[in-house]
Amino acid sequence: MGSLGEEEQMRETSNVERPTSNIESPDNASATEVGRWAFDVRRFLWRIVDFILAGVFIYAGVLKALDPVQLAHDIDHYKILPWTMGVGLAFYLPWLEIFCGLALVLRLFYRGALSILTALVVIFLVATIAAKIRGLDITCGCFGHASQNWSFPTHLALDLAILVALAALCYCSVARARANASPTLTS
Amino acid sequence: MKFSLASQALILAALSLLPGIGQAIYFRDKISWQSSIPPSEMVSVDRAREWGDNAIWIDARPDDDFARDHVPGAISLNEDRWNELLPQFLAAWSPGEKVVVYCSAQSCDLAREVAERLRKTTQPPMENVFVLEGGWEAWVKKNR
Repeated sequence: MGSLGEEEQMRETSNVERPTSNIESPDNASATEVGRWAFDVRRFLWRIVDFILAGVFIYAGVLKALDPVQLAHDIDHYKILPWTMGVGLAFYLPWLEIFCGLALVLRLFYRGALSILTALVVIFLVATIAAKIRGLDITCGCFGHASQNWSFPTHLALDLAILVALAALCYCSVARARANASPTLTS
Repeated sequence: MKFSLASQALILAALSLLPGIGQAIYFRDKISWQSSIPPSEMVSVDRAREWGDNAIWIDARPDDDFARDHVPGAISLNEDRWNELLPQFLAAWSPGEKVVVYCSAQSCDLAREVAERLRKTTQPPMENVFVLEGGWEAWVKKNR
């Protein structure tokens, strides 16, 4: 009996979700409920961002995977890599985007996917700006033929928007990991 | 089971290799790892010369280069003045005739682009369009 009582007390005082639950008044309880509700809404909104980004990368990856020959030529237009490496990338990059997109949806290897996608977008942005400075007429091929007639500012704006969303998800993921590490921050 | 960020990234990168390799095998005949032009769309100088009157030559280099020198009988057709030069070429070309397109060297891309455009934009789409291996440089080496 005594040990059960102790266990019950432990459960009350060590609950990381509700650190002040052992002195809960009706006001505190409703504040906790509101806090939890706001937390759930925030999580839900971040999940929507996850899904949108995943959709963008899976869509872009599938379009490119359907026509790797065209993608190899698009990569070659940047005049950065030798043809052989461009061909290798044309076969590899679409699948990397698809797998990372799926990882975002499934929240499996989530941080790894976020870091790969962020790196890809940064590399792509630098390559696009460098090509523009060198006066190269490039088709990014990011979304297959759909993006063929997009202007440079449109490409840039879309990539920057994706980069900002990825950075926000990275920040959120790190913040969540920290909160899980220090129990009092989770509520 | 918890994975570090680096391990997660490595696993995703490794997983993506598998379908990539499969696709590379599937597309092995449609793309060359050595050159941006598939082997079936290239022709050597010797082979193209053997075709004689059955082939028409297109110089895809800029106008200045064409004016300086070109393959005897070649017609200038480049991306800069496509709409202007295409009718001249079509008037000289007869259906069934092979088309040999060249630019300055193996590394240049103009011949491939012109060949691609001829195949895709002409009505009916042109077949038997080839890119000269080694371009103008190779032709000069073999002929002078």
